[in-house]
Amino acid sequence: MNTTTLPHMDGKTGFTADWDAWQTSFINEAFNNLRRLTSIPFLPEKIERIRKGVTPREIVYEEDRLKVYRYIGNGPVKYKTPMCFVFALVNRPYILDLKEGRSVISHFVNAGFDCYLIDWGTPTRAERFLTTDDYVNGYMRNVIDYLRERTGAKKVNLLGYCMGGTLSTIFTALHQEMVGSLMLLATGIDFATREGLINLWTDPRYFDVDKFVDTMGNIPAEFLQSAFLMLKPVANLIEKPINLMENIHRDDFLEDYLYMETWLNDNIPVPGEVYREFAKYLFQQNLLTKNRLPIGKHIVDLRKITCPLLNLMARNDDLVPCAQTEPLNDLVSSKDKEKIIWPAGHIGLAVSGRAQKELWPRAVEWLAKRSQ
Amino acid sequence: MSDNTNKAFDQAAAFQKLWMDSMTGMAGVWSQYSPASPAPEETRKMRGGMLKVLTETWDQFMRTPQFMEMMKSSLNGALDLRRFARDGMNRVHEQFETPNKTDIDGILLAIRHVERRILDRLEGFEDRVADVKDRIEALEETLQGQTRPSKQPQRKPAKATKQSSNK
Repeated sequence: MNTTTLPHMDGKTGFTADWDAWQTSFINEAFNNLRRLTSIPFLPEKIERIRKGVTPREIVYEEDRLKVYRYIGNGPVKYKTPMCFVFALVNRPYILDLKEGRSVISHFVNAGFDCYLIDWGTPTRAERFLTTDDYVNGYMRNVIDYLRERTGAKKVNLLGYCMGGTLSTIFTALHQEMVGSLMLLATGIDFATREGLINLWTDPRYFDVDKFVDTMGNIPAEFLQSAFLMLKPVANLIEKPINLMENIHRDDFLEDYLYMETWLNDNIPVPGEVYREFAKYLFQQNLLTKNRLPIGKHIVDLRKITCPLLNLMARNDDLVPCAQTEPLNDLVSSKDKEKIIWPAGHIGLAVSGRAQKELWPRAVEWLAKRSQ
Repeated sequence: MSDNTNKAFDQAAAFQKLWMDSMTGMAGVWSQYSPASPAPEETRKMRGGMLKVLTETWDQFMRTPQFMEMMKSSLNGALDLRRFARDGMNRVHEQFETPNKTDIDGILLAIRHVERRILDRLEGFEDRVADVKDRIEALEETLQGQTRPSKQPQRKPAKATKQSSNK
């Protein structure tokens, strides 16, 4: 808000001062409204300019719909062990490289890590029977094998975000010999907590996951999007549009808003069987913490994780509350483990200004100390 | 009264409570209105207060069993409708002798089944090859560690390994 103090207000008290303040405020508001209105016609042009990912990259591996990107830094690669980013199957992974000054990946690239990102692609109806086993022991294992072969390193560092963190944890427990260090961001592990609304809504008394998956096949992006919106209906459906209208004339606000909204609305469907396994085995039966989660022929035992672990979680996360993430550090056998609870939300943990300035340099330093 | 009627009354009561709480809370916010402050700032403050009240009451409401019952019945209704529509379409496809979604899913499942069997077999081979490789490596290490003994004892463990791996 731009508020101007008019010179004739000096020395006035009581009703006259109040009246002057009212007048000034109304004039300022009128001018701001004019600015807001005049910026609306430029909105489509600004939307057109939104890019998905900012750090230069190349495709180095493809399998079915999956693509692996390698990020190209300006300097030489300092560490032999490659870094692999694993994102969720729900949204697109470019949130990790959102825009200039809001990119998690650029922190690692600039520090001299050889960085790779798995883009799972958009599943079609043909992929509805793909299971978590196909993703973890199929695609993910192939990617990690490829990275080891390409770089000559015996191990790969993993950074998993949200559902990608759960997949990375499962992978590490099954293939510990391939993983150097494990970094997790807002990762659901212990689903017994009823703090988050998603955990409540997937309660078997109210949600028949088999009927849902059998009828729907792949879980539509619109369904997932509306479930995420309903976690905070007032903030998402009322406050957000009001904020946009109030700040539409501010270029910095609008740019951040458009980048975030583009990503938030860029959902993809989830393969039906993966959704069934996650809902049933994790949300409803909480098998991961009990070391009884079946992945294909294997049973995931978190005690088999022995590598260094950095567990990052967001204090105000409405999607994956800290209570869902925190127990992991006590469930693994790693001796070198650390957790950081950061004052941010689920997305803010990756892209907020404070996280970019303070958290990510700290995370890069943590990994650098443990890398060759 | 039937169980369903009771549920409907409970849900209506929960919904009514949500709006009562929201309205009471929002009215409470307006009691803090200060006419001395400029209207736009004060209105913004009031709006913030009202939205906070709404956020809290909706969050509480969405955690109630009544809300979840409502969610369950509306989701089930939508799924039943979809199934009903699909069954109808399947019958049409059947009459025209064209493949329907169930047929396609059946083929996909059959492919998945064959794929799974091949992968399981390959995994088995992979494990056996890895086992043989380990044994060969162990043998090579043993042979390198020995200080040039006669050829006869060197061959024996190799034969034994081959036999055991075949088993």
